[in-house]
Amino acid sequence: MAVVPKVALGELLRSMADDEFVIGFSDSEWTGIAPILEEDIAMSSLAQDEIGHAAALYGLLGTLLDEDPDALAYDRRPQEYRHCRLLDHGRGDWAMAIARRYLYDSADAVRLEALAGGAWEPLADLVGKLIREERYHRMHVGAWLERLAHDDGEARTRLLVALRQLQHDAATVFAPLPDEVALIEAGILAAPMPELEGRWRQAIGPTFAELDLPMPPAAAQPERGRLDHGDAFDWLWREFTSVRRSEPGVSW
Amino acid sequence: MPAATELQAWEVFRQEKDGDPMRHGGSVMAPDAELATHYARELFGRRQESVRLWVVRRGDIHDVADPDLLQPPLDRSFKKPGGYLMRDKLAAARAISGESKPGARPPRRTPST
Repeated sequence: MAVVPKVALGELLRSMADDEFVIGFSDSEWTGIAPILEEDIAMSSLAQDEIGHAAALYGLLGTLLDEDPDALAYDRRPQEYRHCRLLDHGRGDWAMAIARRYLYDSADAVRLEALAGGAWEPLADLVGKLIREERYHRMHVGAWLERLAHDDGEARTRLLVALRQLQHDAATVFAPLPDEVALIEAGILAAPMPELEGRWRQAIGPTFAELDLPMPPAAAQPERGRLDHGDAFDWLWREFTSVRRSEPGVSW
Repeated sequence: MPAATELQAWEVFRQEKDGDPMRHGGSVMAPDAELATHYARELFGRRQESVRLWVVRRGDIHDVADPDLLQPPLDRSFKKPGGYLMRDKLAAARAISGESKPGARPPRRTPST
């Protein structure tokens, strides 16, 4: 590749790292209170995987910008994070956790496919590994989505409520990135975000139809899909930065 | 697929590396085989400590614990090789052939007798 579009690549890495970081922290809130012990361990392990993915992505971003990955992860103000608004709804109940994870993981898979084999080797290498790990995540959450959807009582009702709550933010994983054209021209990203959203809808359509679940509509304001995070994220941000902020600058 | 059903026990066997025998690792509770394999993966494989898992519904295991079959009351010691005193015969044969016991440490001193 001739020239690395540094600014656009930075925005892409930041959005992906923040997505993984925030969903990892949200899901880690189930540690100790998941429905059964086995699921507690499984969800906690998945959450740790996501934090691991975030660490790898912040590592790439740190190298690109010559900044400390920990500082990138923890030392920004809430409004400076660029995760998608799908992840801004608070922990919610178990159905909410499953609905959010299903929507996110299925969208993330499409995004990763569009980055696999890309021209910036450090990211292409990492994406290859992420795809292998995320495959299991999708199997796990898919199993839960089916079980909640097939229930004819409270579980299905709660799932429908959660999907309704998330619906306007469901597609925000594909909020356009600043200057994503540069990424496409450089061969890092295979297609623009709206096209990836179309692929995602095709991917989840059969499952939603089979489970008789309503497909989420298009995002109301796609261009703000990674902004305006709101109170739930403010709370989460205070949680995950609390230790770091307690003694700024010390070495942990 | 049936709606959420009751939890059942699943036994998990794991192989630590290729060529090792499958060893019992423990058990998980899950409503069906699909979630049982997911939970087995998390409990016995998330730290890359296994290369293969077998997940078996506990109810599918044929349990044999009948003392009449396994611990019969009559003396069965004649079925064990312990009744045959081979040690002295082997030692005598080695003395004749001049060979040492396979894997034996070299003698520190000559036995007195």
